[in-house]
Amino acid sequence: MNIVVCVKQVPDTSDPDTEVHIDGTGRGVDQSKFSFVINDADNYAVEEAILLKEKHGGEVTVVNIGGEAANQVIRMALAKGGDGAVRLDDESFVYSDVVATARLLKSAIKDLGCDLVLTGCMASDDGYGAVGIALAQMLEVPHAAYVKTVEVVDDKKLKVGRELEGGLLEMNEIEMPCLLAIQTGGNEPRYASFKGIREASKKEIKVMDLAATGLSADEVGESGSVAVMTQYSVPEVGDLAEMIEGDPAETSAKLANILKEKGLV
Amino acid sequence: MFELSEQLELIQQALRPYCEKELQSKVDALEEGELPVFELMKDFDGVFGISSMLAGPLKKMIERKRKKEEEGVEERGSIDELLGGEVGTAIDPMLLFVVAKELSRVSPSFALSFGAHLGLCGQTILSKGTSDQIEKYALPIFAFEKMGCWGLTEPEAGSDAFALTTTAVPDGDQYVLNGSKTFITNAPYADIFIVYAKIDRGDAKTDKRMIYPFVLERGTQGLSVGKPMHKMGMRGSPTGEIFLDDVRVGLDQLLGKKEKTGRAQAKETLASEREEAPAMAWGIIERCLDESVKYAIERKQFGRRLVEFQLIQDKIARMYVHLENVRNLAYKQAWAMREGRGSLRDACAAKFYASAAAVEVGMEAIQLMGGYGYMHEQHVEMLTRDAKLLMIGGGTSEIQLLNIAKELARDKGVKLSLAGGLQV
Repeated sequence: MNIVVCVKQVPDTSDPDTEVHIDGTGRGVDQSKFSFVINDADNYAVEEAILLKEKHGGEVTVVNIGGEAANQVIRMALAKGGDGAVRLDDESFVYSDVVATARLLKSAIKDLGCDLVLTGCMASDDGYGAVGIALAQMLEVPHAAYVKTVEVVDDKKLKVGRELEGGLLEMNEIEMPCLLAIQTGGNEPRYASFKGIREASKKEIKVMDLAATGLSADEVGESGSVAVMTQYSVPEVGDLAEMIEGDPAETSAKLANILKEKGLV
Repeated sequence: MFELSEQLELIQQALRPYCEKELQSKVDALEEGELPVFELMKDFDGVFGISSMLAGPLKKMIERKRKKEEEGVEERGSIDELLGGEVGTAIDPMLLFVVAKELSRVSPSFALSFGAHLGLCGQTILSKGTSDQIEKYALPIFAFEKMGCWGLTEPEAGSDAFALTTTAVPDGDQYVLNGSKTFITNAPYADIFIVYAKIDRGDAKTDKRMIYPFVLERGTQGLSVGKPMHKMGMRGSPTGEIFLDDVRVGLDQLLGKKEKTGRAQAKETLASEREEAPAMAWGIIERCLDESVKYAIERKQFGRRLVEFQLIQDKIARMYVHLENVRNLAYKQAWAMREGRGSLRDACAAKFYASAAAVEVGMEAIQLMGGYGYMHEQHVEMLTRDAKLLMIGGGTSEIQLLNIAKELARDKGVKLSLAGGLQV
């Protein structure tokens, strides 16, 4: 089974010291102080891809849109068991929305002849949660989102469990080729082994610029997007909101008092 | 030169979450002696696939050595060669530093035991042993099936390590070992023991130079170990005594299977212990600084964050200076090792500085956090106790200084003795 897994590099928001500041353009955030990691849901997608490969054979190709810095998350996925990678990198790709992003991914995936495309169900930075679905539409394959379990029924069919509200699992059968947007928590992402890391440095990361995608400039970036992001802003503190300040001991005491006063506990 | 390669950056990225989640959650149990450190080593191996990575190269090394032995040529093996993956390929020494650093951010005890198991015990067998000995004793060590320890220090031979009194008396085709070792990392639970003993043929002049490493297995008659010692720090790493009471061994347990000077070998192994210290100090300092900055920003006194006070700024800035220096020393040392330009005086200077810096940074981190810093719940309390060992183990800070002075004087043609005065 040949699998493509799409990965995105995002700021490490698990670091409590990461503060988000809007940059001078108003359309981006200052990334100079960030450390970057693989998007959480994509990490589970990588694990699912490798588990399927280990059980059923085939190859796993990692696809990413990003600059050279994104090689880190690509190499980590290769170290865990990916076989090859494609990185889409061109200045014209900046400000691509969901549709333009999916179009780019399609250009890299369409000729790979894969049976299954995996993405994370949502990116932790922009939170769109729509790239996988848009990509399935463009590839003209069926899709399932928020997938937590994947079982191979036969050469052509998968049985997937989608996570619904309250942890309810909805079981579906889906024909391959198809796209699954993977939810977090369905497996346990492995740590890359030292041997895997060493081997990853020898694996090829094919870089595709605009020309290599076969797309025109007006199909990518802002001009190829149907939604244009215009500005970031920090929400203003509303009248009804009370921001509690202080160290953890003070803030928790204040919060407890408020909850008591309002009779909520 | 001052940046990690992409591969090492990935290794650091893989190690950090493991250490902060898996290892950190087990530190208390490890420190309390409820979790054997070898169990953790096995877990670490399972996650990062160290034994499976080394198995192939180790087999090749044994085959190569065996072939050379048949030709009458002795060749030495090394961990570098194993990690290099192919015969003759050395690894970047920075790899070992990054591993020791990342482990030491969370548990210097684990790093210490891990280092004694692979770096001291495993490496000595590879370097000194024959192909048969590597197969019998090093294979289970590198497969994490048996835990190793390395014993040189004795109750009356600490800094003066080569004044050891453990003897190996030849008796037919055997040796009879008597004596004791102390402060030996991993000894209480080790399965494989490297112990240094002085051949005693009753000729004081020749015997003095004949210090050899023997390899012993748990369960050997006459070999016993003491209980884990109660230490100020490094409590997660078992330390203890080894007692040898008429232990009879054959020539096949003398590493190398023939009598040739082992003193240089012990010195080389001591050097590797010395080289690990700056990397461990780096991890301790980096973590103490991280925790201190975080605390200084969160904690408020007199209506202000601690970090607003200049006396606190002084502390974190000085910690950073130490971090910068120790990090640079580690990079420098890795470079020197790669280029084959390492020197005793530089290694001693690095260990002296880095270990003292780790203790100072740890103490300052505690001071910055006040009462909270003194509490066990704050990680800096344990790290500071652990840091103190770096000034003692693998050669005390004082011995490092003496070595440096000795080297400086030697450049001018004056040979000094570590015991003071001129070398005789």
